[in-house]
Amino acid sequence: MPTLDRHFWLVIVASLALGIAGVGLAVAGNPENSGICISCFLENSAGALGLHDNARMQYLRPEIIGFVLGAVLSAGLFREFNSRGGSAPLVRLLAGIFLMIGCGVFIGCPIKLFLRLTAGDLTSLAGLAGLVAGVWIGLRGLAAGIHFGRAEKQRGSGWWIPCLGVALLLFYLFRPGFLLFSTSGSAAQHAPMLLSLGAGLLLGMLAQRSRFCITGSIRDSFLMRGRTPLLWGLLVFVVVAVGFNLFSGQFRLGMYGQPGAHLQHFWSFAGMALVGWLSVLIGGCPFRQLIKAGEGDADAGLVVIGMVIGGGLVQAWGLTATAAGVPFYGKVATLVGFLFLLTNSLLWRDRTS
Amino acid sequence: MPDRFDMLHLVGLLVVAGGLLLLVLTPQPEAGAMHGGRLDRAMEKQMLARARTDFLKQTYAPVVDLTASGEYAAALLKLKELGREYPGEPHGDILRGEILLAQQAWQPATASFVRGVKGNGDYVDAKSPLSRYESISRVVDEGLRQVGAQVKQHPDNSSLQETMRDLYYLQSRLAGGCE
Repeated sequence: MPTLDRHFWLVIVASLALGIAGVGLAVAGNPENSGICISCFLENSAGALGLHDNARMQYLRPEIIGFVLGAVLSAGLFREFNSRGGSAPLVRLLAGIFLMIGCGVFIGCPIKLFLRLTAGDLTSLAGLAGLVAGVWIGLRGLAAGIHFGRAEKQRGSGWWIPCLGVALLLFYLFRPGFLLFSTSGSAAQHAPMLLSLGAGLLLGMLAQRSRFCITGSIRDSFLMRGRTPLLWGLLVFVVVAVGFNLFSGQFRLGMYGQPGAHLQHFWSFAGMALVGWLSVLIGGCPFRQLIKAGEGDADAGLVVIGMVIGGGLVQAWGLTATAAGVPFYGKVATLVGFLFLLTNSLLWRDRTS
Repeated sequence: MPDRFDMLHLVGLLVVAGGLLLLVLTPQPEAGAMHGGRLDRAMEKQMLARARTDFLKQTYAPVVDLTASGEYAAALLKLKELGREYPGEPHGDILRGEILLAQQAWQPATASFVRGVKGNGDYVDAKSPLSRYESISRVVDEGLRQVGAQVKQHPDNSSLQETMRDLYYLQSRLAGGCE
């Protein structure tokens, strides 16, 4: 059992909020099983900014802006804002792109994996197995000495992602003519603005305080078993999401006909394994990267920039899976992602210890 | 203490920020032209989408009329003719699916709907002006019941299994999700 201290209860509250918001935002208008999905939202936002031309995937998601600004507020309020960076910047930028490729091939980020699972989508089990395997491999890598270098205090770097968040909020509120908004497709489905933004801000603040992270929960469960609060947080998230899905009539147990899912299980496994492995090496899942970027971590900020670029690329190049399956170039890109990981694991391994 | 270099930069920062604010808040005569023309991409896209919908409805109107009057063979013939003019147009696949569905030909109807939906996802959006949500739901519900029963009787029949995969695809698209 973990110590029932303040951090434990913060994790529980954050997980509770994530479970409620994850299902609740879908009930309120977001796409099915995508109340919160970092990769879907970033693909939508990249489309809104004109980085891809899929007319069904263009919407500047206020939740994403809320996550970052919520983390900024919380970090500022509790004096935890710390502008830092300088740890393998280009590797992190590229890692952000490959995170989006892995998510695109699975159709969803690790949070959506659990939202799909808690809505009864059994195809997500292959993704779950992949995510756990990826985290485990990543942990073995860390134990063997892979390290992307220490981040240093950098007075200027950490402010730029929060500034970008403010700029995107202004874009969202004033809608300049160059922004694109889908009128059909999943990007046209969204919860009311204030609800989305409010949920984003609240979750951003809670996640910043609690350090909640999906891959971090799995990683810590390997390391500390039941003593880590994050494992209990993940369990609370799952239980709340299942309950809310059952209550709202969104629970449909089965393998077939699930929203935003495909039946190519090997590639679901591989996509999430790529995400799990990358997340451990760069210190957090896509959601955690947004939160860290809001705390002043410029390295996480570069991952975020990479994810935005990746969001554009996966759509523009047709790498993302659909209900019909994973496209050829999506499979190629996933394997290139593993090549990227393996190469960096060799290049960044500290063999002196 | 800020020195002269810092002060110069601070003043520069204030001047540029003030200028930017002034620029954004003051209506510019050329901004209107840009907003209404080249830069308002969202509106341009909406107009294109509406024009496309109207064009499709107008072009394929004879097929819809023939189908409504029960002249399925003539409607299919007209579709073939239009298909030569607009090859690969998903709207043709959707209309073919509806005609085949009216003729109770589940397997080819399903395949036709799948081609149409893969070409344009608007057909499974309940709110889209091109929506065929109802007819695709009908083909999925009936198809799963009928083809599902046949698959149980002939589990090795690859054509039936192909149709089941198509039906699951349509079912998944109807269920929504982010893609």
